[in-house]
Amino acid sequence: MTQTVPDPTTRQRGDDVNRYLKALALVAVLGVVATACRSDGGGGGGGDEDLQRGGIMRLSMISDVEDAFDPQKEYYQVSWGLYRCCMLRTLVSYAGAAGEDGGNDLVPDLAESLPQVSDDGLTWTFTLRDGITFGPPYADQEIVAGDFINAMEREADPDVGAGYPFYYSVIEGFDEYSAGEADTISGMTAIDDKTLEITLTGPFADLGFRMAMPAAAPIPDGAADGHEEDYGRFLVPSGPYMFEGSDALEPGGTTPVSGYQPGQSIVLVRNPSWDASTDEIRPAYVDRFEIEIGGTDEDIFNKIDAGELDLHLDGVPPAQLIRKFQQNPDREDQVFVNSADGTRYLAFNLAAPPFDDIHVRKASNFVLDRDGMRRIRGGELVGELARHIIPESLIGDKLVDYDPYNAGTGDVEAAMEEMRQSKYDTDGDGLCDAPACKGVIGAQDEAFPYSDQNALLLDNFSSIGIELDIKSGERSNFMYARCQDPGSEWAICLGPGWGKDYSDATTFGEPLFGSAAIGPDACCNYSLVGAAPDLLADFKYDITEVPGVDAKLKECDEAPVSDERLQCWADVDTELMENVVPWVPYLWDNDVFVVSDRLLNYRYDQFSGQPAMDHMALADAGAEA
Amino acid sequence: MGRYLIRRTLFLLLVLFIVSMLTFLIFLKLPPGDPARRAAGRRSTARIIELARHNLGLDRPWYVQYARFAKGLIPLPGFFLNEQVYFSYDNFVPVKEEIFDRIPVTATLAAGGAVAWLLLGIPIGIASATKPRSLRDRLGMLFALIGVSAPVFWLGQLFLFVFWFKLGVAPSSGLDIGDTLMESVLSGEFVMPWIVLSLTYAAFYARMVRGNMIETLSEDYIRTARAKGLSERRVVYKHGLRAALTPVATLFGLDLGLLLGGAVITETVFNLPGLGQYAIKSLQVADFPAVMGVTIFAAFFVVVANLFVDVVYAFLDPRVRYT
Repeated sequence: MTQTVPDPTTRQRGDDVNRYLKALALVAVLGVVATACRSDGGGGGGGDEDLQRGGIMRLSMISDVEDAFDPQKEYYQVSWGLYRCCMLRTLVSYAGAAGEDGGNDLVPDLAESLPQVSDDGLTWTFTLRDGITFGPPYADQEIVAGDFINAMEREADPDVGAGYPFYYSVIEGFDEYSAGEADTISGMTAIDDKTLEITLTGPFADLGFRMAMPAAAPIPDGAADGHEEDYGRFLVPSGPYMFEGSDALEPGGTTPVSGYQPGQSIVLVRNPSWDASTDEIRPAYVDRFEIEIGGTDEDIFNKIDAGELDLHLDGVPPAQLIRKFQQNPDREDQVFVNSADGTRYLAFNLAAPPFDDIHVRKASNFVLDRDGMRRIRGGELVGELARHIIPESLIGDKLVDYDPYNAGTGDVEAAMEEMRQSKYDTDGDGLCDAPACKGVIGAQDEAFPYSDQNALLLDNFSSIGIELDIKSGERSNFMYARCQDPGSEWAICLGPGWGKDYSDATTFGEPLFGSAAIGPDACCNYSLVGAAPDLLADFKYDITEVPGVDAKLKECDEAPVSDERLQCWADVDTELMENVVPWVPYLWDNDVFVVSDRLLNYRYDQFSGQPAMDHMALADAGAEA
Repeated sequence: MGRYLIRRTLFLLLVLFIVSMLTFLIFLKLPPGDPARRAAGRRSTARIIELARHNLGLDRPWYVQYARFAKGLIPLPGFFLNEQVYFSYDNFVPVKEEIFDRIPVTATLAAGGAVAWLLLGIPIGIASATKPRSLRDRLGMLFALIGVSAPVFWLGQLFLFVFWFKLGVAPSSGLDIGDTLMESVLSGEFVMPWIVLSLTYAAFYARMVRGNMIETLSEDYIRTARAKGLSERRVVYKHGLRAALTPVATLFGLDLGLLLGGAVITETVFNLPGLGQYAIKSLQVADFPAVMGVTIFAAFFVVVANLFVDVVYAFLDPRVRYT
């Protein structure tokens, strides 16, 4: 999706932010008016009067959520989709729509409007709506400004082990609180119950996006006390839905909610405290969501085909099922394809031979048959061949003509030409022939489609003399664990993917290429871009330095929201692709979902990359209600 | 008999000691790296890692560590799968709680499967043994060959595809959310898992019963029974089968004990939330206290089942009490 871009003349950074926010506010107001005109008269988000309320939607997930639904920890799109649509409201949020329909634009949620920003871009003021309360077991307790401070303090708490605290280091005092040097986050002040003031360390124009993430959802005083590890099972809802059994929770109790059985099932029911008239974003048609965890992809998609399940949240539909649906006029509208704003890639360990040589990395970029990789995943439907790192939608299409490695079926000749410049091609024949070229360890995801891609990878790399030794295992606890740990033996990570956290290229910056994102307890600079010499020495690498882009990342993070910012990130991308080469990006993902025939009004939530369950209804809702 | 029981019990304790020591070494001592970090999981904080270190006794001598670990095998409250060692830092719940929550599903699957394989395997074995090399014998052994050869994961997928997806005569995989276990059983959600689970065992038992019965029916006392004019039915069932079933009883106890540790493949294919599925999920997320707990639990059941079978065998065949 293309960002809103103001006229790029010289102006103060605060003015840029205000102009950007005013544009968003106009979009938000227009959006609210438009949806109000379509109101079904009975719920939030306007809604469609042809859609019935009620019914039970049946869904499936192969894998459980990552951190037992703890909002400060969960860094997983499925969890984020459930938070946004259903369980947690934030100061600002998203409408649950595709990017081209405004799905990346911020809209007010618990705040009555988009924030006021000072001229210098350092002070953001949010004014809360009146009369919005939490759900059980804090039902009827009004949400106040201090509740957002509770959430940020928990995000900063090292005992919690939060998923993405680095996004909130821009708040003054956040890092000091995290380090135990302060009792409060100095940059967050509840002026009164309705007014929250946030002071930043710099003019970071994307704070709104950061406050729309689930970690910023309010927490009542004391609700998370003693639940550093398991708050998710005692989650206090603010959205239209809650875990079944939340009404039986005791504040401060130790018996977790019954509606979430780890590894088995998730059941969401209506939150009785949710007031539809305060929520323009979420129509919330369905009465109940039943999500079963486990099973196999084949069985689950057969169930969708048979109408026993409505939606599969974390699976890749098999190509033959997609074809079956698309070739049937009665079923072709059950397949939905949306750009996911994400990139699939191979990540090099810049410190591990032979990929410590930039020419080997470039040769690998030339040789990979990206079209073949895509074909294995399901063909053109699953995405566009990636020519560089950051999806075009996040950099304003600045690099549409940029293709440094001829992304396609692979160019062996160009790869060999590049390899000849490498120290690992000792005889100049275009093949990697040093001992380091044999038994090169690759960490891979054992599940489909990655397992099917291995043969292609072995073939492609062998054509430039690199003999891969692929070690496969479970995605999170083997592949990602290995790729994130500089001390584990691996040279290339073969199965990762990255999606934006919000609609700004900064989410492709620091987390992936910042030196602070290196290490087994950090996320997710697998390639060790910018690793310090002492870190390399600690992990016993022979190489003493690797290229870094920290300075450039900081420059872009602080750039005003404008064409200048987009260009800055485009420059980061080209710098990485040409002078660092940490990856072989091969696919800009599409999200493909196949749904049952009783599911109506399918919407794609561009923010989380998940179906917007708050907008969907059931054809037989009346029968089940 | 008393001395026999004492001998078998001491042997059980020895086996439990060896199992616990091996498991302790495999999980805690032999792998490289920090076991506390492994136990705490990938995203754990320093606080959780230290908590795991303290609970596992990793800050104490090795024999203290082992003692805490082995305590989990003693079937007494506060000891069996104690929370100190067997605690899942992945979901932050005691492993015992998860195991006991899932045992009913596994027990239902195992019990039903056991009844099915006995009802299928024994009659086929008898039918084959009483008319060796006949058509029914060959059909029976063909069934046995298929049952033994066909992997459970393949059979399960085939059954789901044919009987549920194509013919619509059986429920799909998984248990309906919100249903009690009894409701799930009564709605037929266990029927296909029972059948799939039982086929391999039924095949094996059919072959074993056939072999034992052919041998038994050729004994002198059987010839004597026939010579005395007893009916063939009486000869086969009262005299022949009883002796042929003795080794079957031994094996049945062991198989059931093993199954109570989790029918891993069947539970995974049919998405049944039992012990086997828990073991797989724990392995996938590297929740090794949970894996340890399931291992110890399964080992305990197998060893106890073994003892039970030995006792039953001693009643069936008094000669074994003196060996």
